[in-house]
Amino acid sequence: MSSGKRSAEILQSIPSFYLLNFAGCTLIVSDADSSIFLVHHRRSSPSNSRTMTHAHLEMSSRAQTVTETLSSVIELLENDQNLKKQIRESIEPIDDLSRTATTELNKLHSAPFSQHQQICQNAIDIITKTQPLWNDVAKLIPEHEFYRHQFALGPTMRNLTTSIVLARFILHDDLTPAHTTSTILGLQNDSTTILQLSSEDYLQGVIGAVNELPRLSINAVTSQNFDLPIKISSFVNDIFASYSLLNLRNDALRRKFDSLKYDLKRCEDVVYDLTLRGLTKPRE
Amino acid sequence: MADVDTLMPSEAGSSSSTLSRKQHLMSTFESYRSELDTDNERRERLIITSRSITQLSKKLIFHLHRNATSLSPQLKEKCLREGRSKEREIWTLFKKIRDELDSIGNGGDEAKEGYWRWNRQVSPGLEEYIEGLSFLYYLEHQSLIPLSEVQKTLSDEEGEALVVVTPEDYILGMSDLTGELMRYATNALSTGDHNTPLEVCEFVRTVKSHFDGIPPHMLYKLSKKQEETTRSLEKIERGMSLAQLSSLAFHLCYALRLRLIEFADKPEVLAMMAKRALEDTAEKEDKGRDD
Repeated sequence: MSSGKRSAEILQSIPSFYLLNFAGCTLIVSDADSSIFLVHHRRSSPSNSRTMTHAHLEMSSRAQTVTETLSSVIELLENDQNLKKQIRESIEPIDDLSRTATTELNKLHSAPFSQHQQICQNAIDIITKTQPLWNDVAKLIPEHEFYRHQFALGPTMRNLTTSIVLARFILHDDLTPAHTTSTILGLQNDSTTILQLSSEDYLQGVIGAVNELPRLSINAVTSQNFDLPIKISSFVNDIFASYSLLNLRNDALRRKFDSLKYDLKRCEDVVYDLTLRGLTKPRE
Repeated sequence: MADVDTLMPSEAGSSSSTLSRKQHLMSTFESYRSELDTDNERRERLIITSRSITQLSKKLIFHLHRNATSLSPQLKEKCLREGRSKEREIWTLFKKIRDELDSIGNGGDEAKEGYWRWNRQVSPGLEEYIEGLSFLYYLEHQSLIPLSEVQKTLSDEEGEALVVVTPEDYILGMSDLTGELMRYATNALSTGDHNTPLEVCEFVRTVKSHFDGIPPHMLYKLSKKQEETTRSLEKIERGMSLAQLSSLAFHLCYALRLRLIEFADKPEVLAMMAKRALEDTAEKEDKGRDD
C-alpha cells in the first residue's frame, strides 16, 4: 500500500484539514487542533544539514570532556576491582587451610574417642598456620576500609570460627570466646589490627559448630561412647539459652539461630534414647 | 526407677559446673545483646535518613522536570536556583549521617570505619542523590558532573567528605542519569525545542559507549542498568528523528500559513491542493517502487 493511500485514510479521519506538498514533504494540517502530520519525507534539505554541522562541532568538544571524565572514573573503578581481586586471591591459601582443618575435624565422626583430642589439636595446629597469611591480607586493605572488604573475608572467618569452636569444645568442654578465637587466628597482632572478627561473624561461626554436634552425638553412640552425647546436649542447651537472649532481626544470624532449635532437639533425643535404655549410668 | 535414681546424682554433679558455664555464657551474651541492639538502632536511624534522602532527591528530579524545559530564561534560572536550594536541603541529611557515624566510639577509628560498615544502609539514598545532583548539574552546565565535583558537593565546609563516593556509586548514578535525560529530552520536544534532544542524545550515546566497555563481572549492577540506558537512548533517538521532522515542519509552517491566509475564503482551492499533493506523493512512491 502506498503512503499516498495511507494518507488518504488519515485524511478521512480528520474532519477538516489542509494539505501541502513542499520540499519533499507532504504535510497534513488539521484544522481542528492544528496538529501536523508528516506523511512523506525525502532526505533532509541542505540548509538543514548545515545547521547540524555547526551543532556537531560544539557537541564534539563537549563529548571530549565527557570522555575524559568517564575514562578517569573507569580507571578508578578498575583499580578498585583489581584490589578486590588481590584480596580475594590473598584469602585463597587461608581458605585451603580452613578446608584442611574441616577435613581433619570430620574424622571425629568415625575415629574412636581416644583419638578425639589428637584430631582437635591437629585442627587447631592447622588453623594457627593461617596467622602469617592474615598479615598478607591486612597489608592489602587500606586504612579504615576493613568493612568495605568484609564481604570477601567474612565467610572465611566464619568457617574458621566454626572449626576452632568445635575443636575447643571437644578439648575443653567450653565455648571459645571471640577474643580467643581472634587470637588463634592471629588477628590480634600489630600487623593485623585492621582485620577484625566481627561479632556477627563470630556468632554465626559458633552456630556453625553447633550444627555439627547432633551428628557427632549420634555417631558417638554408634561407637559406644555414651558420655559425649550428654556433654553435647548440655553444651547445646547452654548455647541455645545464650542466643535466646539476643534480639535478632530478620537476617542471616536469625536464620542460623532458628536452626539451633532443631539441633538442640536432636541432641536431646539422643540423650533421651540413652536414658530410656539405662545407658547413661556412670560406669563402675 | 532405680536407673533414674542413680542418674540423678551424676546429673546434679555435672550441672554444678554447667551452671557456672551457663552463667558465664549468659553474661557474655548479654553484652552481645546490647552491642547488637545498639547496631540495630543505628541501622534503623541510617535507613530512615537514607529514605528521606531518596524522597527529597526524587522531589528534586521532579522539580527539575517540571520547569527545566521552560522556554523563558528567567523561569529556567529560577528553577535551577530552587533546585540548588533543594540540593542543599538534602546535603544537611548527609551531614546528619556523618554526625551519626561520628558518634560511634567517640569519633575514633571506629567512626572512620563506620562509613564502610554502614555503607549498605546509606547507599540507596546516595544513589538517588547522585542522580538528582548530576541532572541538576547537566541542566546548569549542559555537561557531565565529574566524580571530584560530586565528592566536593558532598563535603563539609572544611572539605572533609560527609560520605565517600566511590567510582561504582558514580557510574551507577550516571547510568540512572541517562533515564532522566531521556524524559527531559521528551519534555523539551513537546515545547518545540529541537536542539536539546539532539544534545542529550549525543551525550547519552557517549556515556553509553563508555559504559559498554566495562566488563559485566566488574560491575554487575551496571549491566542491568545498561539495558535501561539502551532503551532510553532508543526513545530519545526516535524522539529526535521526530524532532528533525518537526524542525522541518516549522519551516514549512511559514509557507503553509501564508497559503492558508491566501486561500482562507476558498476552501475548495485548498482541498484541490491537498488532493494534488496526495496524488503527487502516491505517484512518487510508485515511481520509486518501479525503479
